[in-house]
Amino acid sequence: MRWATRRHCHVDRAGCAWLIRRQIDPDAEFLFVDDPDEVPPDATAFDMRGVELGHHGDHCSFETVLHRYGLDDPVLWDLARIVHEADLADERYDAPEAPGLDVICRGLSMVLDDPRILEVTAAMFDGLYEHRRRALLLGRDPA
Amino acid sequence: MPRLPWVFLAYRLPREPSTPRISVWRKLRRLGVAQVVDGLVALPLDARTKEQLEWVADEVVEAGGEASIWLAEAASAAQERALADGMAASIAEEYRSLAVEAGTALGEARGQRNRTLGRLRRELRRIRARDFFPPPEAEGARRAVDGLADTTRAAMR
Repeated sequence: MRWATRRHCHVDRAGCAWLIRRQIDPDAEFLFVDDPDEVPPDATAFDMRGVELGHHGDHCSFETVLHRYGLDDPVLWDLARIVHEADLADERYDAPEAPGLDVICRGLSMVLDDPRILEVTAAMFDGLYEHRRRALLLGRDPA
Repeated sequence: MPRLPWVFLAYRLPREPSTPRISVWRKLRRLGVAQVVDGLVALPLDARTKEQLEWVADEVVEAGGEASIWLAEAASAAQERALADGMAASIAEEYRSLAVEAGTALGEARGQRNRTLGRLRRELRRIRARDFFPPPEAEGARRAVDGLADTTRAAMR
């Protein structure tokens, strides 16, 4: 399937792309557009204005994707806490990891193009997922 | 001098219910927008500010209101200065009260002072995130919080 989002991926778009490939569509192909009108009819748009898979209420797009696809893995919801604060910083959650993740993603977007950002951040989210998975199992942060 | 590009959000929300109005107002305040007139707010344009105002616009529409996003520049340097000066003045006030709080906290007992330091550091980060035209008071606030941190550290030795 084809998936479309805005150019210049930041943490919420990068997180959604990782989530889509991991949980929804392993063969996902990603397109980057400047305007919602440029989304081809066969592509599913995410993290853009006025689309189903965007911000809704107090949710960022990552949380919206988890909801819409009924993904209830507690580790993913723990990542959602971090992505939400890295993206919105509205202090809805306690996420000390978020300011660091925000800065890393902003820095990457200064030196890489969008396809490379998704590659690099996919590895980062894999690592983050594993860290939070072990943390939830142990009940404390793993070494 | 070349003018700055700005992103504008023009919006109107139904008077009732008040919950979405308050939510939108809180978000705009956190973003540090300049209020041009009632229902028209602005931020200097960058990748982040445009996106943030777009999400607020969506929220307004979802709450039954109207919203549109515009990219524009001021037609005169004086107009641009008025907008930027207004933003700097209101953020300067926030830095000033933070510096005063940090100064007052120097006299607190150690445990309380530690907690105040943590709170003021977070508050400083929040203010910086919405500071687009750093006034001289920014440096004063940073020094005041650093001074509080130094005192707290010295007391732990």
